[in-house]
Amino acid sequence: MFAYIVRRLGMMLVILFGASFMSYNLEAYSSDPLAELQQSTAPNKQYLIDRLTRELMLDVPPPLRFFIWLKGIVSGLWGQFDLGMTRDQHSVAEYIGAAIPTTFRLVIGSTVLAIVLGITIGMVTAIRQYSRFDYSMTFVSFLMFSLPIFWVAVLLKEYFAIQFNDFLVDPHVTPPFLLFFSLLSALIWAGIIGGDRRRFFTVFGAVAIGTAILIEVLSLTSWFISPGLGIVVVAVFAGGISVAITHLSVGLDDKKSLYASLITAGIVVALYYPLQWVMSADASLLTVIGIFALILAIGAAVGYLISKIDRRAIMRTAMITGFLSMVPVVIDRFMQEFNAYYASDAINGRPIPTMGQANQLLSPEQQANFWINSLDGFTHVFLPTVALTLISFAGYVRFSRGSLLEVLNMDYIRTARAKGLTERTVIVRHALRNAMLPLTTILVNDFAGVIGGAIITESIFGWKGMGSLFNQAIGSYDLNLFMGVFIMTAFLTVFANLVSDLLYGVMDPRIRIRK
Amino acid sequence: MKATRIVRAVAGVAVSGLTIAGLSLAAVAPANSAARSTVVMMETSAMTSLNSGTPDTNLVTNSDVGYLTGMGFIYYDNKPNLLRNTKFGHFEVVKKTPTDFQVKYTVNKGQIWSDGTPVTAVDLLLSHVLSSGKYSIAAGLGDPSGGKPAFDSVGYGGSYDGHVVGNPVLSSDNMSLTIKYDSFQPEWELLGPGPSPVHALEQLADGKKAAGTAAANLASKAQFLKDFTSKNTTRLKKMGAIWSESYNIKTVDSSTNPLLLVSNGAFKVQSAVADQSVTMVRNAKYSSGPAMAKTNPINKIIFSFIADGSPSYQALRNGDIDIYDGQPDAAGVAQLKAIRSATVYGGVSMTYEHVDLRVGAVPGATTAYTGPFAGNSQKAQDLREAFLLALPRDGILESQVKPFSPNGVVMNSHFTLPGQTGYSTIVKSSGVSSFTTGTQADRTARALALVKKYYPTASATNSVVDINFLFKGSQRRIDENKLIAAEAAKAGFKVSTTPNSAWSTKLDDVSYDAAMFAWAPSSTSQTGTNANFLTDGGNNHSGWGTAELDKILHSLEAYLTPAQITAKYLAAETIINANNWTLPLYQWPTTIAANTALKGIKSAPLTPNVVWNFWEWHY
Repeated sequence: MFAYIVRRLGMMLVILFGASFMSYNLEAYSSDPLAELQQSTAPNKQYLIDRLTRELMLDVPPPLRFFIWLKGIVSGLWGQFDLGMTRDQHSVAEYIGAAIPTTFRLVIGSTVLAIVLGITIGMVTAIRQYSRFDYSMTFVSFLMFSLPIFWVAVLLKEYFAIQFNDFLVDPHVTPPFLLFFSLLSALIWAGIIGGDRRRFFTVFGAVAIGTAILIEVLSLTSWFISPGLGIVVVAVFAGGISVAITHLSVGLDDKKSLYASLITAGIVVALYYPLQWVMSADASLLTVIGIFALILAIGAAVGYLISKIDRRAIMRTAMITGFLSMVPVVIDRFMQEFNAYYASDAINGRPIPTMGQANQLLSPEQQANFWINSLDGFTHVFLPTVALTLISFAGYVRFSRGSLLEVLNMDYIRTARAKGLTERTVIVRHALRNAMLPLTTILVNDFAGVIGGAIITESIFGWKGMGSLFNQAIGSYDLNLFMGVFIMTAFLTVFANLVSDLLYGVMDPRIRIRK
Repeated sequence: MKATRIVRAVAGVAVSGLTIAGLSLAAVAPANSAARSTVVMMETSAMTSLNSGTPDTNLVTNSDVGYLTGMGFIYYDNKPNLLRNTKFGHFEVVKKTPTDFQVKYTVNKGQIWSDGTPVTAVDLLLSHVLSSGKYSIAAGLGDPSGGKPAFDSVGYGGSYDGHVVGNPVLSSDNMSLTIKYDSFQPEWELLGPGPSPVHALEQLADGKKAAGTAAANLASKAQFLKDFTSKNTTRLKKMGAIWSESYNIKTVDSSTNPLLLVSNGAFKVQSAVADQSVTMVRNAKYSSGPAMAKTNPINKIIFSFIADGSPSYQALRNGDIDIYDGQPDAAGVAQLKAIRSATVYGGVSMTYEHVDLRVGAVPGATTAYTGPFAGNSQKAQDLREAFLLALPRDGILESQVKPFSPNGVVMNSHFTLPGQTGYSTIVKSSGVSSFTTGTQADRTARALALVKKYYPTASATNSVVDINFLFKGSQRRIDENKLIAAEAAKAGFKVSTTPNSAWSTKLDDVSYDAAMFAWAPSSTSQTGTNANFLTDGGNNHSGWGTAELDKILHSLEAYLTPAQITAKYLAAETIINANNWTLPLYQWPTTIAANTALKGIKSAPLTPNVVWNFWEWHY
């Protein structure tokens, strides 16, 4: 094992050296930093050209200049790591240090969302293979897969920012839209619930009418500019969540577990009003974390007190229920702040921006308010997240569907069914876990890719992360910056490969890493 | 089983949010925003420094911030005319002999920096340090031409550096400064000094972190005068390091040293978020320039950094930005025009495209040029004329300019831009008319006839003269090259169509017969074009030049009236056109789009472009 890792690390160095040497020279030979100066008619043009030549060492041939750059990297061995300076006289390391958190903020949400949604939908389509839902999801995922991000971004900005903001001026849904949304939501739900034709149309009709009524009521009460959930909706959510979680984790036949979940959900609802006072204008991220920690503790306690056998499973169910039920309570709190945010001078009735990471017009008081500040962050991250999720979740859907289908055809699944296990146990305990194995490989690599940034997405939404840094490096012929971003991403990619190989060996007993 | 299914359905419905409780009726609408006083302007690149005076930070966004936060003796309007800012001070020539040319700059009394310190002529002295290599060497700050000087300024190596004599002389009241040159400087108005908060620089060099008291500021200013006069190397070096490096910040917040933000402009930097935006607010102590608009003036200007193209069009449409200032393509212009809440302002830039034909190698080159255009034989002259005749300049204008500005014209003068003084006089009799008369088909036919004199087999379908054509691989140039190659083929020329990404290093390369690129002047000057045509001119890459032309160009370096300048331009252009060296194509069009509610926007061809008249902006 140790020898294997050492060998892989050695290979990593060789790959990194070769790759960086090649990219350095490709970039150096294809770029022309003097071009802009050559167009100038300034009297001291020659001085400026000489100076730039000296500063960028343009008189040294790129293959040799590479080693000057490499010296800074190698010096890292004795703590003098140096990625050099950018052309605008900032340290490359400082640029990258600032860009990584930005990229993280941009991409982490969408990656997690894409993984959760993609795997869930993929698994459901596998279980419901060749159903209406399977076909429609296959269609949707291939559609998304084939869309270019810049185009998706333009459409999202058009409909979810510009037109949505226009809609908010007079937030009443017009009949054609009412019809459209009702039918759309009916189609989705009828597709998911499935069943025979009669049942399909029953669900379709019920959901269509329900949605239409809901939208009309929301419209009439100006809910879109002054949203909120209220204790009733929170209670309904909490009840639904507790039943759903119990069903998924231990099955509804386990009465103790169901009671533990329901009690925890009840506590969440009971805490609704006291929590309004806790989540005041002076609250911080710590408050929210504290609230979630509290409900996890309560869930654990309830599970512990109620259960006699199978204690761990029951506690786990209650904790998950408590956590998820608390989410609507916190969302409700954010919604309560939305109207003030929407009506403020900085936002001026157009809450969804098409660009940037934060609104610079917010007053210092607003910036200090955790709820408003977070809302502002959310409105800014909303569109890029949706765009990235849309185009990347398709891959997970296809992968997890295929993976689960393969597992479901295995002999041990047939054995499990034959010995009389419930379908829930067969799928959740035996099939899902094994189907997740190959997914870990792509997950690890995807996380490494995340740091590389989303070049196009970042520049379209005006985020300065690793991707737009790369863009900037190429645009301004900034070789040091280019190489800084390159070596960072190259290292992470190669490293993630190693990690995923090792991880696979640890998780799958069939695979052993030999010397 | 049935019960389970019902429970499942209930759960599903709950999660879908199909319920109507929890509604609030207390919606508040946004207040009427009639009193808006904020302008959010797009910049395509981030601010990288508060000092745009070093070669590495001399970038558009940095200069725009500098323009809003600092005011000096001169600025350009949208004509572009060089205007004097009489609010700040005045200047005049006080001595004018062939070997002694002196200009006196006087700062108006009563102006103060944003920290309350009076603005005096001592604040102008730093300009000398930043522009005179001789001073830098004498003060032990390093030789700018041999290495990095203490003040890593963009100002060295120009005419000021070459001709200034001694140090500028302060008047006894410290409000005036006299600069002496060894000869008349045709661009003397541009060479003048600008104010810098030298007291803040002194305090920064001392490691101060907070604004000084009024007395301390005055003492620091006096200290600077002393350091400047005595060429105090240690202190000047410290200040040089501050000036060259400490202003390179991208984030401005409460922890930023306030000494870095001292300014005399209408605005001062309030905050900056790295790579996102810079926020500037009105400087209450501003009196150094034109007064702000009387009704609804702008109190806050934010530069927001966003990529050109659809992101910025949509940002303008959504109200995220108020001013779009970019280089849209034709489809982009259409998109901008379709925005109901915005107005599009077209204009032209000083940057212009041109095609140069090689006559020979540059002086001092080791390899001679032997291509079809080489030398001044009748054959070379005829082939050059033929190539220029076959340049489809109207067609290029049609495809590259008309979609943006329907009033765009083909440029026909080398020294003046359409609309400038003298342009029409020059164009009328400089001989350029031989390249403009008739239709393009007529001219191409004339070109073919010229080529046939030497290559009888040449025809519209048989291209015999190979032309190696140098151009950049940008969409604009590739399109232009296509048009040129197609038209020149009809005249018997076979023009290469491979772009070169390293074009700027190939300008002197004799394997190229012709080159197409742009000149991007950053100022107007009566001798600004000389370097393109002097035999040993730094911008003359094609081996042009005659003794007679050199004489005319050198005679421009004198104090002349506009009529005299036009006459000399005309004489020079006549020679240039007679030799068939080069033809200009067109000025780059510019497009500005702004929130219609924002009034007073005027596009300008020179930097600082659209922000040049921010004081006229209002809602």
